[in-house]
Amino acid sequence: MSVSVKSASMVRVGRHYKVGVDDMVVEVADEALSDAGWRKPDAIVVSSVVYPRLSGQSDLASYVASSLGFQGVSAVAVEAGEASGLAAAMTAARLAAEGRRVLLVGVDKLSDAPSSVIYKVLKGVYHMGSDGWYMISHSAIPGLLADLYMSSYGVDRNTLSYWPALMHSHAKLNPYAMLRFAVNPEAVASAMPVAKPLTMLDSFPLGDGAAAITLAPAGDGGGIATLAAVESAVGPMTVAHADDPLDMPAVRAAWGKVKSATGVNSVDVMEIHDSYTIMAMLILEALGLSERGKAAEQVALGKFSQGGEGPLANPSGGLKARGHPVGATGVYMLAELALQLAGSFPGVRVDGARSGLAVGINAHGSTAYSALLVSSN
Amino acid sequence: MVRDTVIQWRARLSRYRLVGGKCRECQKAFYPRVKSCPYCGSRSVDDVELPRVGRLVAYTAVYSVESEARSGSPVVVGLVDLGVARVVSEITDVADPDKLERGSQVEAVFRKLYEDGDEGVIVYGVKFRPRR
Repeated sequence: MSVSVKSASMVRVGRHYKVGVDDMVVEVADEALSDAGWRKPDAIVVSSVVYPRLSGQSDLASYVASSLGFQGVSAVAVEAGEASGLAAAMTAARLAAEGRRVLLVGVDKLSDAPSSVIYKVLKGVYHMGSDGWYMISHSAIPGLLADLYMSSYGVDRNTLSYWPALMHSHAKLNPYAMLRFAVNPEAVASAMPVAKPLTMLDSFPLGDGAAAITLAPAGDGGGIATLAAVESAVGPMTVAHADDPLDMPAVRAAWGKVKSATGVNSVDVMEIHDSYTIMAMLILEALGLSERGKAAEQVALGKFSQGGEGPLANPSGGLKARGHPVGATGVYMLAELALQLAGSFPGVRVDGARSGLAVGINAHGSTAYSALLVSSN
Repeated sequence: MVRDTVIQWRARLSRYRLVGGKCRECQKAFYPRVKSCPYCGSRSVDDVELPRVGRLVAYTAVYSVESEARSGSPVVVGLVDLGVARVVSEITDVADPDKLERGSQVEAVFRKLYEDGDEGVIVYGVKFRPRR
């Protein structure tokens, strides 16, 4: 399975009170379709998580296709919690590989309700048949994992603070990022607590977003990048069932499937799911890019930053600072990587990048998706 | 958003009495009870009441709480090792979360979990508290 990414478009992540899902979709869809030179796609795949639960709208894909005036197209919505965007890409890529011109849209609205309501909706990414009986919100499990990480590996709080600082330094240059300002590592530990030891500066802002890419069969010619593979694997639904809660077997398995499908074993740039600082650390370690318990220290020493060792991590600013409009996040990752490989990402750029990896997870890694993009030329 | 009272009623045994499952094939225990083993996929699973005393593996105090917990912030949540299985639970009766100790003993107590916002049904279940 290898399909061509013809175009990519995004709106800036933010609290867009005056704009609804329909208008945000029109904006990204029109730009992506126009850049692809299509009037209308054969199929639309839609990813959204919070909006359908707040609005009560089912069959959001038909709603979106219909509001775009695309009667007659195939439309399907895909949901896999926080990994929805890449799950939708898995479906979209296979529809494109069968010969269709596909519009993949990720859209979500987190500013339509107070944060406590959003946290209640987002708690649903965890095991609702046990952990969800309790007031775990969205951040309790990451808080537990950060506590366990620090005590198991002897990592201190301040060592974890370099990740958010790196993300903010990237987001500052990304016009599509929600939080475009620098943050000092020293400020992270003393910020407002979210789930101790994690603070507000370890977690994503609640923002709205929409992103779209167009996908066509590989033989179609042109395109800004090639989507070489999208794979996924399921892990334990609760950290209580994990043999080792600090391991993310699903991330390793999904990346393993991509490696065996493509023969590619390393990449130049990546966008990974750093909903909380701890998640980035666990993903870097599960990908084999850091030894267990060492990711935070390596980030503090400059690994994964521009000019540093290892693939550049999250030139977008990541979920931390670009934002995490939940259902749209995976599509942002793909759009950003496609633009990176085309040399036209309007922020921190990896010169001459030939390959990019998107890693999305739900919750603590109850599922993981891995998408590999390679340069088209 | 509707909390489904029937869903919560169905899970009462697990919630009230810490009933989990134990797999006859891989011998692992887990919580809550289900008819298939989440570790090996076996369908040979027996109900088992889990120990009510365990060890606090990790904990957190949650400040970014969901709507129903706004009056109870911060909510203390722990990963509790019961020996045969681990559970995620609220840790209750904690005056100062900063004084909790990792590795300390915690015991199960029967508590109110939340009130169903729409139906007014009070949902009860097990929480853990520091053992004195």
